[in-house]
Amino acid sequence: MGRQVAIVSAGYSEHASKRSDVSMPELVNEAIEDCLAKVPSVELKDIDAFVNGNMPAFEGSNIPELWMTDWMGARNKPLMRVTTGGTTGGSVAISGYYTVTAGIPGIDTVLAIAFEQQSQGDTSVGLASVAYGEISILNSLGISYDQLNRLLSAGAAIGVAAYQATTYMSKANITEEDLARVVVQNRRNAAKTWWAHLKMPDLTIADVLDTPYVQYPLRYGMVCPASDGAVAMLFTTEEKAKDMCDIPVYVNGVASVANETAVLGYDGSGSAQLDPSEQLGAMKSADLAYSQAGISFPRKEIDYAEVYAPFPNQELMWVEKLGLFEETTAPEMYETGVTAHKGELPVNCSGGVNSTNAIAASAMERPSEAALQIMGKASNQVPKTVHTSIGSGWGGSLNLITLMAMSDEPKRKWK
Amino acid sequence: MSKQTQRKSMDYVKKEYKRTRTMPANWYLSSYEYKFNITHMQPFLKKLKEKKLVANKCSGCNRVFFPPRLVCGKCLVKPDRWVDIRDTARVATYAIAYLKDENSEVQEKPMVLVHHDGADTSSIAELAPGVDVKDTYISMPIKAHWKDNPEGGLMDIEYYDLMDDDAEDLNESK
Repeated sequence: MGRQVAIVSAGYSEHASKRSDVSMPELVNEAIEDCLAKVPSVELKDIDAFVNGNMPAFEGSNIPELWMTDWMGARNKPLMRVTTGGTTGGSVAISGYYTVTAGIPGIDTVLAIAFEQQSQGDTSVGLASVAYGEISILNSLGISYDQLNRLLSAGAAIGVAAYQATTYMSKANITEEDLARVVVQNRRNAAKTWWAHLKMPDLTIADVLDTPYVQYPLRYGMVCPASDGAVAMLFTTEEKAKDMCDIPVYVNGVASVANETAVLGYDGSGSAQLDPSEQLGAMKSADLAYSQAGISFPRKEIDYAEVYAPFPNQELMWVEKLGLFEETTAPEMYETGVTAHKGELPVNCSGGVNSTNAIAASAMERPSEAALQIMGKASNQVPKTVHTSIGSGWGGSLNLITLMAMSDEPKRKWK
Repeated sequence: MSKQTQRKSMDYVKKEYKRTRTMPANWYLSSYEYKFNITHMQPFLKKLKEKKLVANKCSGCNRVFFPPRLVCGKCLVKPDRWVDIRDTARVATYAIAYLKDENSEVQEKPMVLVHHDGADTSSIAELAPGVDVKDTYISMPIKAHWKDNPEGGLMDIEYYDLMDDDAEDLNESK
């Protein structure tokens, strides 16, 4: 039986499209300093182990965790690197949780760090390794290279997301205006968050609809930016957490569920998901995490949600699939302000991935922001008292979903 | 499916993996041949030359894969039965990409996932030239348009023609 785990602090570096003023280790160090500043009794020497992660090949340097060992304070201490593509952050947070709950002698306090400096590397080089495999597969089916429009969905997440958007829009019977409304809420929230990237306090729906299409039905104004940034989270045991901070946040449920491939499928043989917005993986992960955390009525019991949504249609989709709203009712909730900052169930008050996307870090910013909202230390703190919150993550071509359910009471149910 | 059958079918995959197709590739240090398995789709490519469509079926979960798969993603065994499928299909979902050509003019590249009648998967395809993709809707009926001289590749289906939707005028909203 594992130990109850608590989050005591989380910290961010400043996010921008090009952080050329700092190198990668300095960026990570910024986040760690912000994290440790919130818990004055903890120093670097009190941390027993480190978990680290970023999207491989996006930063342009090999094994970056060894380069930044001293900048994290990890010399002569256990260090692990986790990479799972788009959900790296979510997986790093879950690994941090498991490192503590495993009960290894001498390892009580774990620092989890996720970072990305996309301006130093080339993301298309990183994605080429994904795309090349798919190109060769299509070649085996007799599709020639000049038929490039058949390859456009290879690799990048927007190819997957555009299909999800079309299906969701036809299912929920909504227009692009409803998508733009989600973007406006996110970017206005981001303006109140000190570390966010795209801060647009005066954005309107008309402004978003005025931009050209990137991929129908998604417009340039709806798509997430590419940011540089880092995030750090401090995990520890229940006993130690009470000495470290006033309101420790207990991790009650974690889940990580993948589905079959999204568009091209295994060996280029098509997708077995005829409805891309069905997302069985999200429903399964919600089922797992909520049953561990003892949440029976997600809509009533969850006070705050951070969902991983680079594209606005996904935010609508996830809040439904994670059990917060009924099917196809999410657009209505955004219209009536239920999900707004002062609403009944605030969603993505940090601005979400839609405003800040440092690939690996963004999936970890979701649970960390959800934890800070419970502690009352978040940058854009919601007016209502938050007792239970969730933070999710999503990764492109395999639809990998990570989910973490947190509360201010320890009530992990072991199965 | 029993464990014995499972093991047997995995051996089958391993044994046949030698028969591959190669593709030349270049790295700036050297050039090499990239190998990939095509055994599982050989009957399918043969039938394409006769303008016929076949798909394989997993005996574990009874799903029909078009184009054929080497391994079923759910059961992790080789789909071992072949079934006929129709050349009529439906639009599973669609999107449009915007790309610049050589003259740096933005061009619309529509992408459609088609779901063949009788299959359980969807694959990427094109609609007939002259069809505005924004007018399409999900589950619109379409039909494969064959090339004159099929060569045994998925490109033998040049594009998909629109079919008359008899039920469309019965629906008030799409």
